[in-house]
Amino acid sequence: MVDTASRQSEPQVERRAGLARFLADASRARAVEITGLTPLRGGAIQENWAVDAHFNAGTLMGDQRLVLRTAAPTGVPTSLDRLQEFAVLKAAFEAGVTVPEPLFASDDPVIFGKPFFIMRRAQGTAAAHRITRDPALDPALPTIAERLGRELARIHSIRPPRVDLAFLASYEEVGPAHQIRGFRTYLDSHPAPRPVLEWGIRWLETHMPPPMAIVLCHHDFRTGNYMLDGTALTGILDWEFSGWGDPHEDIGWFCSKGWRFARLDREAGGIADRAPFYRGYESESGRSLDPRRVFFWEVLASIRWAVIALQQSDRYMIGGERNLDLALTGRRATECELEILMLLDPDGVPKGA
Amino acid sequence: MECRRVRDLPTGPALLALARDVLLHELMPLLPQEGHLAARLVANSMAIAEREAVAGEEPAQEILRQLEKLYGDGEQGLLLRRLAQDIRAGDFEESQLSERHVREILWLHTITKLRSANPRFLNANGFS
Repeated sequence: MVDTASRQSEPQVERRAGLARFLADASRARAVEITGLTPLRGGAIQENWAVDAHFNAGTLMGDQRLVLRTAAPTGVPTSLDRLQEFAVLKAAFEAGVTVPEPLFASDDPVIFGKPFFIMRRAQGTAAAHRITRDPALDPALPTIAERLGRELARIHSIRPPRVDLAFLASYEEVGPAHQIRGFRTYLDSHPAPRPVLEWGIRWLETHMPPPMAIVLCHHDFRTGNYMLDGTALTGILDWEFSGWGDPHEDIGWFCSKGWRFARLDREAGGIADRAPFYRGYESESGRSLDPRRVFFWEVLASIRWAVIALQQSDRYMIGGERNLDLALTGRRATECELEILMLLDPDGVPKGA
Repeated sequence: MECRRVRDLPTGPALLALARDVLLHELMPLLPQEGHLAARLVANSMAIAEREAVAGEEPAQEILRQLEKLYGDGEQGLLLRRLAQDIRAGDFEESQLSERHVREILWLHTITKLRSANPRFLNANGFS
């Protein structure tokens, strides 16, 4: 065995020691030994670290597999900060949503250099291409889709007002009118005109659904943001965009073509037909989904994803970040534009195309 | 055609295609697993550049011709921006004929871009 601990730099050793002290205090342990601290892959906005630790007594006595979540250097300003995300995760956990149990949070920069929270580590994979491609998973996917519908309904059982979630923006600040303004402001600053996006946005503006009772929306509920261990759902992840909203917004996002990965034909997240997903949602929530509202939010989802793709590309084009993945992501905006045309002008497909 | 005769062979697109083949089939197997994603992104970028070079200027010129037909006047380089602004203002919604033409341009523009950027996505959506 190679002694990796002896190769650690001084700041790393200090970081481990500080984290061990924090975990011991928070869990009322006599002592905590960090046996592993490794960065997890993925997460352009957040940074996740796998933490293996041994707790001597206290509320987490024994060996624990945890995750430390903190902001990546290139966070986006629209997302929640880590302490806010921790509060949302706690609310979801208490509402019975399958999430890694949130344990402790700290905004003390001395411990890890920036605010962070600690949660249990869910087992399995969130890799969307693997989930949508693996034939061994196929028989179980409709059941997983139904389960995800139930999970989403539980998230939507969290309603305002909530003192613990008072930091969340009001619906006026995140609703469709606000989002339309945001899309247009962005496009005004973008060097290349995007008439298809303008056309989709104009459609949104002229087809706005009437307001309805708002709920806690995850705002990034999709394949790639839940973990499966085999066929078992082990956690809904990445809560940094959560906020109040129309419940159909999460449904539209989950079903939009941009999140179907290898299986465009499976309209519920690339894993199943809509029927089992909707059935799970409706039976758990006791509410029927309105297909017209879902359609509205699905159009908005394609526009939102197109704008995100262009913003990612801007990090290379404007920000000078040397990253080929980000640069190529901008090209995906046109895929969203095709979807917008297919949704809004299904009879207009050019002949011979 | 004359330009092609002046340039040396193999053509730029042919070299890109060959280089991409070497990358995917000879170099990638030699790379450690963590380098595969970057290699695929490089190969994808080369494929886009190759398709754009093969297509040349004609697809973009056709879109500009359609825009000139729609507007009848205006500086060619600004017509796409003008279209975007007019759509935002709802300017075509009163005229069925011009709205039809606008939609045709939007389809043409989108399909043209995807033929270079991601023809596989076009095929998967039922477009040839």
